[in-house]
Amino acid sequence: MTDQSAPVRIGGERARTAAARRWRRWRLPLLIAVVLGISVLFSVLIRPDLSGDPLAINNPGPLGVRAVAQVLGRQGVHVTEVRSVDAAVAAAAAGTTLAVVETLPLDQADLERLARTPADLVVVDGTDRTLQELTDGAVANAWDHAPGVRYADCQDPDAVAARAVSSSDYALAALDTRATVCFADPGTPGTGSYAVLELGGRTVRVLADSAVLTNAHVTEAGNAALALRVLGKHDQLTWYRPTLLSPSTGAGTGIGVALPPFAGPVAAWLGLLVLVVALWRARAFGRVVTEPLPVTVRAAETTVGRGRLYRGARARGHAAAALRAGTARRAASRLGLARSADARTVIDALAGATGRPPAQVADLLYGPPPTDDAALRALARALDQLESEVHHT
Amino acid sequence: MALSWRTAALAAVGLVPVLLVPVYAIVLGWALLVVLAVAVDLLLAGSPRDVVVRRVLPGSVRLTQPSRSELVVTNEGRRRLRGQVRDAWQPSAGATGNRHRVSLPPGESARLVTPLLPTRRGDRLADRVTVRSFGPMGLAARQLSADVPGRLRVLPEFASRRHLPSRLARLREMDGRTAVQIRGAGTEFDSLREYVIGDDVRSIDWRATARRSEVVVRTWRPERDRRVLIVLDTSRTSAARIGDLPRIDASIEAALLLSALASHAGDRVDLIAHDRRVRAQVTGTSGGRMLPALADALAPVDPALVEADWPAAVAAIRQRLSQRALVVLLTSLDPAAVSTGLLPAVGPLAHDHTVVLASVADPEVAELTRNRGTVSDVYDAAAAERTEIERAAVLVRLRQRGVEVVDALPDELAPRLADAYLALKAAGRL
Repeated sequence: MTDQSAPVRIGGERARTAAARRWRRWRLPLLIAVVLGISVLFSVLIRPDLSGDPLAINNPGPLGVRAVAQVLGRQGVHVTEVRSVDAAVAAAAAGTTLAVVETLPLDQADLERLARTPADLVVVDGTDRTLQELTDGAVANAWDHAPGVRYADCQDPDAVAARAVSSSDYALAALDTRATVCFADPGTPGTGSYAVLELGGRTVRVLADSAVLTNAHVTEAGNAALALRVLGKHDQLTWYRPTLLSPSTGAGTGIGVALPPFAGPVAAWLGLLVLVVALWRARAFGRVVTEPLPVTVRAAETTVGRGRLYRGARARGHAAAALRAGTARRAASRLGLARSADARTVIDALAGATGRPPAQVADLLYGPPPTDDAALRALARALDQLESEVHHT
Repeated sequence: MALSWRTAALAAVGLVPVLLVPVYAIVLGWALLVVLAVAVDLLLAGSPRDVVVRRVLPGSVRLTQPSRSELVVTNEGRRRLRGQVRDAWQPSAGATGNRHRVSLPPGESARLVTPLLPTRRGDRLADRVTVRSFGPMGLAARQLSADVPGRLRVLPEFASRRHLPSRLARLREMDGRTAVQIRGAGTEFDSLREYVIGDDVRSIDWRATARRSEVVVRTWRPERDRRVLIVLDTSRTSAARIGDLPRIDASIEAALLLSALASHAGDRVDLIAHDRRVRAQVTGTSGGRMLPALADALAPVDPALVEADWPAAVAAIRQRLSQRALVVLLTSLDPAAVSTGLLPAVGPLAHDHTVVLASVADPEVAELTRNRGTVSDVYDAAAAERTEIERAAVLVRLRQRGVEVVDALPDELAPRLADAYLALKAAGRL
């Protein structure tokens, strides 16, 4: 006996209605996804180019220097940020200012290239090596033992105009007479927050602490005046902030140099391969078929549940009564007693069958309920023993 | 759309040019090449829309018996159809090897056979047929699914039929017995035969002996043409799982064995499945047609999670019975369900008919009773003892109302019920 179904065209009416149903079901989520995607795209495109990096000219946070950069821009100074030594050297023409903001330590080769540029230099947060190279050994790092407000106390017109700046733990010391140190620390003569010197036909200015430039502190004391005067000497300011990712020429320290030149294209190819393999494996050959499963509750579930209730309520009396009744029932039927036999008859028959004293059998079957779990367990064992004796007779 | 491993291989080969000229443009170019090849392949692939599928199925199959689902696939498109066809079934249909490679020129057909080995009773339904049509390069395929309805009725296994020969032999033994072995109100006079040594002298028919030259005894045979009504309880208690199967499956096995035996014994067998209403019934069939009809009616019966309505069931039973009959209730001795529903209803019924209650016992409860290792085991054992005691009490109350009770483990229920039937027949209580 066989059944033949009517022929079905795979792309027939049913498939079309199924496709239409699928489209109706998915068009709203699809529309929402498209709208969301477009709005995200717009927000990315419209959002101003902001950064969260410390000492970045487009960071509006407390550690950024966006305030100084914007004021300089309004004053006609063109501020550009560069991230590589190459770009810094290329932009540092004569008659411009090159600010070296040492957020990452620069190496010897980079420093030598920077030292050879004709632009006026502003060194911020310089390391010992940087100061050695860029000031030709005239200025060195020192410590300020009592941070606070410092007064100019020197001949430099910029420092005098600023009158006072806030200072932190960092300070500078002049090692020879070429350098002028301003904002001296009264406790430690010869040290200060700002140094200036003429070197090879250009001016090198050194700021001990970048804090005077940051958005958080630029409004304190005369910080703003000093920052604007130091950075705004020329129409063009190149703000060089080193980065790990675009290393300098030669002996750089970034991870890029550790990889062979074909790494990038191979990684892109790997991405292509992963995409294709994912598309290959992800497409299911028809939908998953589900099984209408029957109820799967064990019949003994209610019994086990009752056991758990006994245990939870510590109903030792109930449990012991059930065990005793079970044993008595089985033993009685084994010994051929009537179902209605009374306790006395059962005890006598059991005592006779097992050779135990009737008092002991009576205690086992009709004694007081056990007081703890150990006693209950012992009772269960004793009942087992009694029953096995009956069955052996 | 679906891609094949060849597309992945094509993308993988791209490593060679990328290593030769390591620039991003090569990667982009290779990606475009892959996309182009896939697009061309898709354009040249035969359309799965023009495939026509017809399904050929056996109407029904017994559980655990292998079967097959055939698809006649015709390519009515203008291009060759290369690809795969998946004949999807519910998991319990046991459709292994349901993915078929096809290569069909336009206008030709192929017959695709999917072997089926059902693992569950009931109606197993076919799901969709999916056609995947690859292009000439085998890179990408167009894929489409369609419902091609199909239903395979999986009949109960009737594993208990192995008990049938021995029970039939017992039935034959009862046939033609002399009155020495069996003498009761229920036995009918069958025939006269010559006396042999060992026959009871009381069964000698003296009048017949007087007419002939030899001594003649009467023989008896079991009564025939009695009515047996099997009532299968499909309420919540039949849904509980014992071992791996729900209780109702053991009940169905018992019903099938009893029906086969009773129909051989010449009795009329009817069956109803009932919970709150009649869910399936087989009446008025006999002989060779009865057992297939019974299996077909019982195949799709599943337990319903409702409480049984025994007064309604008894009404349905009375409606179907006019003379005294054997009523077999296939249910469970669940103390709560029996004492609230069955007990009040079954008393009057047992007065008018012979009532046998067959219940599937749970070996797990007996196991719990014996296991007394830890303290929590002891509590479980106590609960199991309580359950057994309550069952025993219900059993006593049922017997007081004149109901015969057969309480057996799932595997033993069918033969035990058959034995109970034979015992009733031998005692002439039908």
